[in-house]
Amino acid sequence: MRVTAILLITMTLPLAAQWLDHKEAGTPRGKDGKANLTAPAPRMNGKPDLSGVWQAERTPDSEFRQALGEEFASQQVDLNDATKYNISVFWGLKPGEEPLRPEAVAVMKQYRNQVAPTSRCLPASLPSSLFFYTFKIIQAPRETVMLAGVGDPPRQIYTDGRSLPEDPQPAWMGYSVGKWEGDTFVVDTSGFNDTAWLDQMGHPRSESMRIEERYHRRDFGHMDLEIRFDDPKYYTRPFSIKAVLNLQPDSDVLEFVCNENERDRTHLAKQ
Amino acid sequence: MKWITILLAASSVPAGAQWLNYRETGTPRTKDGKPNLSAPAPRVKGRPDLSGVWEAERTPLIEYTRAFGEDVAKLQVDLNDATKYVQSVFWGVKPEDQPLRPEALAAMKRSSGTPVPSSRCLPMGVPGGLFVYTFKMIQAPREIIVLPGGGDPPRQIYTDGRGLPEDPQPAWMGYSVGKWEGDTLVVETTGFTEASWLDGARHPRSEQMRVEERYRRRDFGHIDLEVNFNDPKYYTRQFGFRTVLNLVADSDVLEFVCNENEKDQAHTAKH
Repeated sequence: MRVTAILLITMTLPLAAQWLDHKEAGTPRGKDGKANLTAPAPRMNGKPDLSGVWQAERTPDSEFRQALGEEFASQQVDLNDATKYNISVFWGLKPGEEPLRPEAVAVMKQYRNQVAPTSRCLPASLPSSLFFYTFKIIQAPRETVMLAGVGDPPRQIYTDGRSLPEDPQPAWMGYSVGKWEGDTFVVDTSGFNDTAWLDQMGHPRSESMRIEERYHRRDFGHMDLEIRFDDPKYYTRPFSIKAVLNLQPDSDVLEFVCNENERDRTHLAKQ
Repeated sequence: MKWITILLAASSVPAGAQWLNYRETGTPRTKDGKPNLSAPAPRVKGRPDLSGVWEAERTPLIEYTRAFGEDVAKLQVDLNDATKYVQSVFWGVKPEDQPLRPEALAAMKRSSGTPVPSSRCLPMGVPGGLFVYTFKMIQAPREIIVLPGGGDPPRQIYTDGRGLPEDPQPAWMGYSVGKWEGDTLVVETTGFTEASWLDGARHPRSEQMRVEERYRRRDFGHIDLEVNFNDPKYYTRQFGFRTVLNLVADSDVLEFVCNENEKDQAHTAKH
């Protein structure tokens, strides 16, 4: 099954590392010393501070099995590495309900004969890198930085009031600006290349795709995330997904150098 | 000449991009609108703010020709992509004054037939990653993030008072903590992988290497940087060098995905 091969590729987790159990000062704790995940969200300069290591809620085994069949569970794949949105941004929709234009269907047909960019150590990009492993948000005064645990290039989300670039050099992670709507952090991203796949199904994106992410840290340990996609070249209407991000307290993202373990390329190169 | 191939590998600069001429608010300017690079260094919470895009001073051509002969000038290599310290951390030190142990010489001999890791899209590490193109520092409340323009993994320099990890998983960029000595940021880094080279001359490092970087922003446009190395396995004493970092105002680091242009792997894999 195609999906299985994909998950296997993502499974080269680093073995062990430091600062995965460093007790962060400033984390509210219960009497037992554990992080109090339902404490109020921290604030900085009058706005929520989103800084922390986050992991998108994992998909229950039963949901994978229901969609992909019973044999899926017998594969030795760690389903906790990724979520259902890595497999499809349209997870949960019936086949006919996906707002695909014929152009999207045609591109997916081409992709069927290719390996996913991530299997050649290219970026997972958006939204995938938010749903693999964990990622870290670091809120600085003029920008918010996102470091993806899966080794994607860092994202710089400018919060200094600038607007999106008009004719950017297409990039895997795009160009991002963020602003606050009340306590919700709204990130607009454009300037994507059309090389990345939105998910392992190979849903495409064009250079005109825009993505809006809405982050609402509802308490210390939880953030509601909604992602809206708009790409009229490939999709008949905007669409969106929602997920909950769980804080990984006293943890960190690790250096991830995909090429370090790269042994497949000479074989894949012929494709 | 071996070192030339290293520069060639590093010279695939992205074509063009946005936000390279975005006028940062908060930048002191002269009457003609240009950044005033000799204005006082900005401060945040009583300390210098090192945030900005920095480029280590480039090496004058004459220094290269003196070291490598007149032929250097004829090669189609952009020497402005990197500095002399990418070629050798002992640049300017006579061979007999370089504190190499026999173990270091043996390691250099072993690696002499191998292409430099960066030519296989592996990280340059510390300090090499600081001396190719530019890099960006982003000073957040609990850490300083360093984004290398050459595509190395991001560095997180913790300034929250934690100590260095005791038995870290070896990493290309190591693990860093920073503290202030007056107006100088002192960064200590350990936990390096032995796989990376200190420079194009293949000077090795062991997992015991410690690197100290001292950053002093003397005015708006300039940081004095001193880098000190301590690795008793390979070197008979500590050594180091000094350089100047120039602010590249109204600029940015661009996404750099080395694998995107990777066409050599099938040829170099046999090494």
